[in-house]
This record gives sequence, structure tokens and C-alpha cells, in this order.
Amino acid sequence: MDALFIEFYHNTGFYLWDYRYLIMIAVGLVFVYLGIAKDYEPLLLVPIGFGILMGNIPVFQGLGLSIYEDNSVLHYLYFGVTQGIYPPLIFLGIGAMTDFSTLLARPILMLLGAAAQTGIFITFLGALALGFAPNEASSIGIIGGADGPTAIFLTAKLAPHLIGPIAVAAYSYMALVPVIQPPIMRLLTTRKERLIRMEEPREVTKREKIIFPIVAFLLCCFLAPAALPLLGMLCFGNLLKEAVVTERLAQTARNSLIDTATILLGVTVGASTQGDIFLVPSSIGIFALGALSFGIATASGVLFAKVMNLFLKSKINPLLGAAGVSAVPDSARVVQIVGQKEDPTNFLLMHAMAPNVSGVIGSAIAAGVLWSLMAS
Amino acid sequence: MYGLEAINANNGWAISVVGVTIVFSGLVTLSLVISQLYRVLALWENPSKIKTLFKAKQPKNQSEEFQEKEIIDQAVFTESQKEGAKQFSLLIRTMENHFSLPRLLHLAQISDLKNSHSNLNNLLKTNIIIPDGSGFFTWEKETFDKAIL
Repeated sequence: MDALFIEFYHNTGFYLWDYRYLIMIAVGLVFVYLGIAKDYEPLLLVPIGFGILMGNIPVFQGLGLSIYEDNSVLHYLYFGVTQGIYPPLIFLGIGAMTDFSTLLARPILMLLGAAAQTGIFITFLGALALGFAPNEASSIGIIGGADGPTAIFLTAKLAPHLIGPIAVAAYSYMALVPVIQPPIMRLLTTRKERLIRMEEPREVTKREKIIFPIVAFLLCCFLAPAALPLLGMLCFGNLLKEAVVTERLAQTARNSLIDTATILLGVTVGASTQGDIFLVPSSIGIFALGALSFGIATASGVLFAKVMNLFLKSKINPLLGAAGVSAVPDSARVVQIVGQKEDPTNFLLMHAMAPNVSGVIGSAIAAGVLWSLMAS
Repeated sequence: MYGLEAINANNGWAISVVGVTIVFSGLVTLSLVISQLYRVLALWENPSKIKTLFKAKQPKNQSEEFQEKEIIDQAVFTESQKEGAKQFSLLIRTMENHFSLPRLLHLAQISDLKNSHSNLNNLLKTNIIIPDGSGFFTWEKETFDKAIL
């Protein structure tokens, strides 16, 4: 009987533990805390945080428990991440939630979304300089797109072994948008610039809204076909929303489907951060480069807005440039908060949504471009 | 391999420049297309405008100008229509110089203006409200003064 107890004890987490698992469990708890207590992206941080806890219970090999064992349940669920299935489903839901009206009313703001993607390519160079392989550098650079599903999708295609650190970095920085962006925005703008009021946008017709996803999809995917899975689903979701006659499908896409995909993606990405695999020097490099990427993306958007103002008659508030990173709608909300600190009667949120949603399109195009360049 | 050597060896500069260029061209093209979308839709809804686009603009001769003036002069407003037009003029003072027509109509409706549709139609017909060519409209004060006051 003693032997049975000892054998059982050898299979418990108390016997198999390693300090790396404990560190990751602490990280998971921080994520859950930030999500629940601080309300930082709770829909993402809580599933990822709990997934980290699930992935860092020390288990013995052979029973099919670890996410990295072929016959485990978590491994099957993780298939949706490694094969890039969940991100397009999430994009379908995002499309069904997004209102492109402000973008259609003032298309020039789309350029801010493009400018913010510069961060991706500058970080790509930084990652190469730090010794990462081009495939890995591309996956790290895309963190600057501030778009979790896009980052996971591209990493699944180019550097599947880095999905854990890249997903955690991307989602962590997305949750920290209210902390990272404001100092950069204030540093790069004057008070006078932050006080600029935007013109009221024109009203957009229903027909424009219906045509937009079709035109955007055809145009962008002809240019960057590798963006098809993400942009296709984003535009399709938006068409379902705007077409009205497909409201039932749009409802499903924006509620049950996106929630299911987010839960599965969050938990499995979290579970993939197994201490012995996750806590390696390259993860620290990825986190550092991710922060850099985010900062550069924000700065590029703000600076580009200032450059645009040199040529525009009707000036735009350069804070809007920060919304070019596609953390929807957090970065737009940050623009509103920073703008209102200077002038409480200045409402920038609606205007900031234009670069924000164009950032989603821009980062998907950037992912497509990187994927096709790396594949070729 | 690290630093600039690694970037050069992996063709990093070229990939970055190409990447940024493609993202910019994609979004610039898209923004150009959607900036013209409402014009194309306006033509689609009113095909007769297409003909006028291809017609060479001719300077207005005196008789045309006279006819135009006559239309305004002949536009006889009833007292209630004049009242409606005056109420619209008050509403417009609260708006931007270039305003949206649906918004004006919405404001008129929530302000309980009587016959808001037909009064607005009269103002459009008599060129008191005219399109500015970019989807918005402007208020022609002189025309209003002549026709109403």
C-alpha cells in the first residue's frame, strides 16, 4: 500500500514541480487579477490567465494531459491556434461589430492606420538585429499591429514555436494600451495640437456601408492575397451586419461565435505557456521588442498626423494617430481620454474610430505581406 | 549573426520598405476609392447627372440669368410656407456653414416644424439651399432675403 501511495505521490504536481511552473502560475494569477480587478481587457486576460494556470500544472508525460502531447484534449483544442482557425473566426465577429461610418465619412484618416503599421516593420528590423530568424522576426514585428488574432495567425504560419510568448506579449500590451500610449502621445504633441477640434463627419448612407466591405475586400486582397483569411472574414462579418437581411447571422458572429473562438483561443494560448518551454531568453527578447513595437507604432501614427497637418486645410488632431494601432476600441478610447484632459468638451472618440478600424485592415495587410514575403 | 550584418544578410531593409509601401498603397487606394464612393452612388441614383458631367460648361448668357432670376422671383410662397422657411433659417443658424440635409430635416422634425418635408423641398427648388458639391449644403442668404422677406 505504501508503494501505491509513493507511486501516486510521484505523479502529483507537488513532486513534479519546478520553479518555472511557479513563476508562470504567478504570471497567470496577475493576468486574472488585472482582468477582474483592474478591468484591463477582461475578456482576453481572464481566459489567457486561467489558461496559463492550466498549462503550468506539472503533469507526467504519457497520460495525454499536456497541451504539447499529441493525444491530449488541450492539444486538439490548440489545433485551432496552430492551424490559424480561431483568428479568422474572431475577425468575422469583429467585422460584425464594427461600424465603418466614420472611416467612410473621412477616408483620409485611413492613412493614420497605415502609418501606425510602420512599427511592425521597424521592429522586424530590430528583431533581425537581435539575431532572430526572418520568420521569427516577422512574427515579433506584428505585435506592433496591436492585434492579437493577427499576431497569432501570422505566428502560427511562420514561427509556431513562438505562439505562446508572442500571443501573451500581444495581449498584454493590448491590455496595457492605456498605460503605454498616453506618455508617447503627450511627448510628441503640443497642447495647442491636442486642442484641435475635428469637423463633424458627414452622414454616410446605408448603401455606402454595404458596398464598403465588398470593395475593401476585393481591393486589399488583390493587393495582398495572403491577407485573405483575415480580411475576408472581417469584411464578410461587416457585410452581414450592414446588409440587415442577414442580421441573424451577424448576431451569431458578433456574440456566440466570437465568444467561443475567444474562449478557446485564450485558454489554449495561455496553456501553451508551459514554464519549461516559455521561460527562455528569447521570450524576454520578444517582450522587449513587443513593447518597442507598440511604442513605435503609436509614435508613427502621431507623427504622421502632424505631417498631414502641414498639407491639410482642415487640421486633424494628431492624437488620432495613436488610434492607428488596431487595438479596437481601446486605443480610440485612450485618444478620447487624453484629448479630454486638455479640453473636456472635445469629443474625439468617434473620429478616432476611423484610424482604429483602418489599423485593423492595415495590420491584416501587413501580416499578409510578411507571410507572402517569408513564404517566397 | 547580429546587428546590421544580420539585417543585411536577411534582406531586412528591402523587406521593410516593400512591406510599408504595400500597406500604404493598399490603404491609400482604398481611401481614394471610398472617398469617391458617395459621388458614384449619387450618379447611380440620378443618371441624368452623368450627361451634365460630360457637357462642356458654358458661360451663362444674360437670358439664362434672367430666367433663373425670374424663377426665384416667380416662386410665390404662401404665408405658411414663408413662415416655414423663416423657421428653417433659424434652425440653420445653429448649424455649420456646410450642413447635412438629413440632419437639417431631423432637426426640423424634432423641433416639430410643420410640413418640414415640403418646406425643405421648396427651399431646395428655389435655390435657397444649394449643394456645395461635397455632399453638404449651404444656405443662400441673399436668395432667401429676396424670396421671403
